[in-house]
Amino acid sequence: MEDFLELTVSATASGCIYALMALSYLIVLRPTSIINFAIGEWAATGAFVGVGVLTTLLWPRLDAPYPVAVAIVLVVLGLLGWAVERLTVRPLVKRGAAVTSPILALLGVLVIFRETLTLLFGADPFPSPPPLGYRRLEIGPFAGAPQQFFIIAVTLTIFAGVWYFFERTVWGRAFEAVAINRRAAALMGINLGRVTALAFAAGAAVAGMAGLLISPLTSAHYMMGLPLAIQGFTALVIGGVGRVEGALLGGLILAFAEQLGARYLPIPSGLTLAFPFSLLILFLLLRPTGLISPREVR
Amino acid sequence: MIRTRFASVMAIAAGLLAGSLPLVQTAAAQDVIKIGVITDRVGSGKFYAEPVTRGIELGTKIINEKGGVLGKKIQLIIEDDQNRPDVSAAKARKLVDDGVVAILSNTGSPATQQAQTVSLETKTPHLTPANSADTLTTQLDNPWFFQTGPLASIQLATLMSYTKSRGFKKVAIVRDNSSLSQSFAESFRKGLEGVGIQVALEEVIPQGATSAVANLQKVRAEKVDAILQAGILGPEMLQFFRAYQQLGMKEPILGSYNLSIPAYLTMAKDLMDGVVFVDAYDDTKPEAKVFHDIYLKEYKEEPSSLPAYGWDGIHLIAAAITKAGTLDKEKIREALASTQNFTGAIGAKGTSWSFRDGKRTGFDPQGAVVRVIKNNQHGPVVHAGQK
Repeated sequence: MEDFLELTVSATASGCIYALMALSYLIVLRPTSIINFAIGEWAATGAFVGVGVLTTLLWPRLDAPYPVAVAIVLVVLGLLGWAVERLTVRPLVKRGAAVTSPILALLGVLVIFRETLTLLFGADPFPSPPPLGYRRLEIGPFAGAPQQFFIIAVTLTIFAGVWYFFERTVWGRAFEAVAINRRAAALMGINLGRVTALAFAAGAAVAGMAGLLISPLTSAHYMMGLPLAIQGFTALVIGGVGRVEGALLGGLILAFAEQLGARYLPIPSGLTLAFPFSLLILFLLLRPTGLISPREVR
Repeated sequence: MIRTRFASVMAIAAGLLAGSLPLVQTAAAQDVIKIGVITDRVGSGKFYAEPVTRGIELGTKIINEKGGVLGKKIQLIIEDDQNRPDVSAAKARKLVDDGVVAILSNTGSPATQQAQTVSLETKTPHLTPANSADTLTTQLDNPWFFQTGPLASIQLATLMSYTKSRGFKKVAIVRDNSSLSQSFAESFRKGLEGVGIQVALEEVIPQGATSAVANLQKVRAEKVDAILQAGILGPEMLQFFRAYQQLGMKEPILGSYNLSIPAYLTMAKDLMDGVVFVDAYDDTKPEAKVFHDIYLKEYKEEPSSLPAYGWDGIHLIAAAITKAGTLDKEKIREALASTQNFTGAIGAKGTSWSFRDGKRTGFDPQGAVVRVIKNNQHGPVVHAGQK
């Protein structure tokens, strides 16, 4: 039982990271229909920006407090996301390029981000200081690292905020309207360019937060983006692309499947690598809309 | 008019000066001994290649300060192969074209293997001071290539000797899913089973994992006497040490030669106290103390074992050139091949390098040691040799 409760904390924290990555995909995908595989590199960028602000990596006198790092990651990644949309996606959309063109252009962005990180920081992993230190923390029957509890708390806050945005604000309704029918939304006076730019900025900020949150557990390194992008995409497919709650559910299901499988299934642990891909294939074949379907258009 | 003429004269003078520059350079080049170094400054081997290169640079500086070799200064020409076998041979050729009399390879064993094709063809003495693959001198019959790094088989035998001495009966192996880690784990398994120690389970932490709690819980459930850490990927090793701490585990951890890379000490700070690992450096050895003091004075920081490999490598090449008494590459190769009882900073106390019986691997089978990590530093030797 002790193992299960420890594993519950670990899997929930991992699931929250996958969920944030899925949310980043979803925020961009809903109003634009663009799958942005560069979000993994955005997460890595968020981790490096965080390490740079929290330590003396970038500037000898930085060593800033954690809330400052969070704010800087959100602003820097938001601006990067906005710039990527303006410089790569918008010119293609304006010229009436095929739907796949922005996706391919964003794969190019992925390479640019990764190589830039390598040039700036090299191949060495950088330790990232956690806000609550390293130790075994027990809350009731649950035990884990303080960072794992922190990840869970921050992720739930972000999801609550994004849910409120989509469900309760005019801007959120505008996003939903664009997702349902871009042409009709434009005719209703919604500025499509602004919605798209905001989607990229918000998607990048969320991915950057995922990178910042996971970096104390994994370190910040230039290769961290791709696995996160795959795990986030799998979580998105499991949960469904229609609703914010789907991203959270998908992330948690994936992480629990991975970690419970690694712990309890009588198979070599190397085979657990296949879990995300097996789930991805299974859901694409049997339930391509994911577990949570979009709301009916009224 | 005068200004125009003055400008023309200056242009002609500049042209003549520029034209004569290669002559000046050629003359200067004859006063130095060029030695090539292949390192990795940006790739996956940067971790260990750069500290080794630093040791070569320091050794070169000290040799030059003492008057150089054969009355000439050593000039290093350093090339970056990014630890890529497909690039390494091209870099070796560039070094030969630049006129080096010997090459030192510091990146991964596969890259060094590939660079050998050039040293064999161009008949250039080639030494790897730190590579550990047993196959480097056996896959290609290259009489120009020499290896002084501690062979993987020697490291393994030393670690097994320590493991047996501690009375461990049942152990777990934890690794990542990289090919090198898989190879380490396979060697561990063979070595352990060879000395009658049971491998209860082998756990794999996949690249990109966000938690190793499930893996370490399985290890904990097996109630093993010790854990052999065969991982080489930094982030996944960090996951291992974090989960180990989080689960409050106390099983002794034994690591490979890979843990002698100092970057892990900062990456997994405060998580590795008490971990033992194989190394080839004992800082109480007199030759190591000399190296230590010079390094500390030069760089104002404590050295790890890695720069000592480079330090020894350049000293070995310098000794061979001195013995040859010429810059003729064949003579240098002969001098290198005849090296006997060369004592460097690397190796356990009382051990030395020799290329005996036509072998081109010089590391003493009793030269590897087991050290313990203390206070985020590579600590004292707790076991030496295979006995």
